[in-house]
Amino acid sequence: MRSQVEDILDVVTSKSSTYQQKLFSLANVAERLVDPKEVLGYTDEEMMYIENHMICDLNEGYALYRPRYIVPDYNVLLTSGCKFLSLDPPKDLEELLDSLLILYSHVPSITSFPVFIGDLDKLMEPFITDEEKDYVKIKRFLNHIDKTIVDSFCHANIGPEKTRAGELIIKAVVELENPTPNMTIRYDKDITPRDFALKAAEACLKVSKPSFSNNKMYNQDVGDHKIVSCYNALPSGGGAYTLPRLRLGTIVKGVKSIDELMKDRLPKVTKAMATMIDKRVRFIVEKSNFFETSFLVKEGFIKRENFSAMFGIVGLADAVNYLLKLEGLDEKFGTSKRGDEIGHSILELIDGIANTHEAVYSERTNNRYLMHAQVGADLSEEDKDNTPAHRIKVGEEPILPIHIKQAAPFHKYFTSGTGDLFALDQTYLNNVDAVLDIIEGAFAEGARYITTYLHNTDLVRVTGYLVKKSEVMKVQKGEPVLRDTEIMGFGTNSIANVFERRVRKDGN
Amino acid sequence: MEIKAVVNKIIPFSNVDGPGNRLSIFFQECNVNCVYCHNHETINLCRSCKLCIGKCPKKALSFFENKIVYNEEKCCECDTCIKTCPCSSSPRTKEYTVDELLKIIDEYKLFIRGITVSGGEATLKAPFVTELFKRVKKLGLTCFVDTNGFFNKNHIQELIDVTDKFMIDIKAVDKIEELCGTKLKNNLENLEYLLKQNKVYEVRTVLIENHMDMENTVKTVANIIKDYPEVIYKLIRVHITGLREEQKEIIKGNIPSEEYVRELVNMAKKIGARKIESIC
Repeated sequence: MRSQVEDILDVVTSKSSTYQQKLFSLANVAERLVDPKEVLGYTDEEMMYIENHMICDLNEGYALYRPRYIVPDYNVLLTSGCKFLSLDPPKDLEELLDSLLILYSHVPSITSFPVFIGDLDKLMEPFITDEEKDYVKIKRFLNHIDKTIVDSFCHANIGPEKTRAGELIIKAVVELENPTPNMTIRYDKDITPRDFALKAAEACLKVSKPSFSNNKMYNQDVGDHKIVSCYNALPSGGGAYTLPRLRLGTIVKGVKSIDELMKDRLPKVTKAMATMIDKRVRFIVEKSNFFETSFLVKEGFIKRENFSAMFGIVGLADAVNYLLKLEGLDEKFGTSKRGDEIGHSILELIDGIANTHEAVYSERTNNRYLMHAQVGADLSEEDKDNTPAHRIKVGEEPILPIHIKQAAPFHKYFTSGTGDLFALDQTYLNNVDAVLDIIEGAFAEGARYITTYLHNTDLVRVTGYLVKKSEVMKVQKGEPVLRDTEIMGFGTNSIANVFERRVRKDGN
Repeated sequence: MEIKAVVNKIIPFSNVDGPGNRLSIFFQECNVNCVYCHNHETINLCRSCKLCIGKCPKKALSFFENKIVYNEEKCCECDTCIKTCPCSSSPRTKEYTVDELLKIIDEYKLFIRGITVSGGEATLKAPFVTELFKRVKKLGLTCFVDTNGFFNKNHIQELIDVTDKFMIDIKAVDKIEELCGTKLKNNLENLEYLLKQNKVYEVRTVLIENHMDMENTVKTVANIIKDYPEVIYKLIRVHITGLREEQKEIIKGNIPSEEYVRELVNMAKKIGARKIESIC
């Protein structure tokens, strides 16, 4: 959505933003002041879908000067150091952690904070010499990240192999109880030893991380990849240029029949989003000079050839509920067989269009943009009618076994990421094996990504990122808070009641 | 005719009925009646007295072909029927064949590592459960029996053979009749028999004052299981949440202190029992 000059003063005089948040907001206002028709060559039709909220560009702006998500290959730091920052290859753990912290502040993204900070266990493992002393350093490093990268989209990976470093990292995140960094264990039951997986699952219950990703499935679909930002699976040494999303809950409004949606409106809007993405990608690659100027490119941390773009959707539940009503059915998405059928046919249609469109500058992903189940945002009134991704509306979830079996088949479409969240009851702490059984079952049924957390923890996953409930309550009172994601958490919770997810007690 | 069994409830994901995630089946009918029973509605079969029908606020119950019929969709799970029932039963039970249960288990097999049968008292349905277990094992799942400990081992030998592990209650070693309303006393003998065959996963004792000799029970069990280091012994302090008013009256003054439960745990440890867990 475009901004207006008046937005500048609104940002400047805000009582609820920190200095840094205002600075970034001002930059974002500037990016959205320019006319996308002039700068990017958007057509009237494309503009119409932005203005009527059917397509949301997540306020990425129209003067693009860096890819949305950047996934550096931090191994370069180990082998060659960084010339631009005058860093030699690290010789011990302290030098490694110090160099990483320096490098992080120079890795751009849509939020201006790095969305991927490395396979931390693999980076650290060669330098682990004394577990007791190294633990103190690792914990301090992770705490430093939480206080300086004030955005929970910052994501670290561990696994699938068990390492000493991996165990120390898990121990530290449990003790710290910090929202940042977000963390994923790339899990493969044939590689990850059970004891390591159980430690990860227990940490996930206690502090909502690491989440579990289906490493085999993602390796098959994306190849060499990392999990970044919320739960996005993106190529290593590259990333994603842009992520616009189809607001399905908005797109269905006013259609008179499923036919009208499937044969006319949805194909039109979906195709418009594909061409919009083309134009955005071209601007970054051909005009912004990002790839010509960034030291990350010059020194091999990233390669233009490893980038692709993401094809997002949101609000499947709302779209399906609208159509069920149209068919005269008193059923809701999540517990309706017909609802699932409609949901799958909507996604098959979008998938068909996304996967026949010749993508630009996306050779790494076979010249295709990658489908993504976007977790929602609070950017427009319309977002109230667009439940995250393909998730069931909070409050309408069936019991856990039925919920997982309903959700897993929807994961297959979303090559660049989707995930489901389950709030579990305290009793699971006494039987973490059961949690791992459930995750393994979900992966066997085709799920890509699962997160669990105890419903009574302060650290809660809003949609894909973590916030402290107590900090979000401050936002409600209009007080400034450290992280932008806490402000987003407030917006999302007031829309989607994510703090009130069904608590699974004894499998219910 | 194919054999059927009355089932009170199926929980597809249970984290408290043995190792890992399990599907639990609660069979109807029990051979004892403990003062603190938390599943009173599983004790007897429905006698079709129809008292519950009129009390159901959602009109989910009706009478058809001499049976109470339960409409699952209308039910709001308020439990009025169960509270009304004068014979410790429930109109919300369902009859299943082995095939029908197997179909449900098959649906969840990727998420669970096994099934646990409970009740009521699952050993009362030994032939049915034996057949079920034989088939479930072919799915690569483990089979556990949760029992009150009162069964005739000679009658259920085939079931014992196909069962991976038992979770067995030792309700008490004395005052059993007062606590459980039964003249059966073979629970310890059964425990020892199963232990010798390496068939015990966990032993449990609910602790309640006056209705049992807590010290003697814990001491006896600890002495028996001390030679089996893998076996868990769970000591559970009796609680009144979810109980009927008349039960609450009996139990209220007889809840042991947390401190006393800790003492019993320490005593059992001293005797040599290894894996003791207490639930207060």
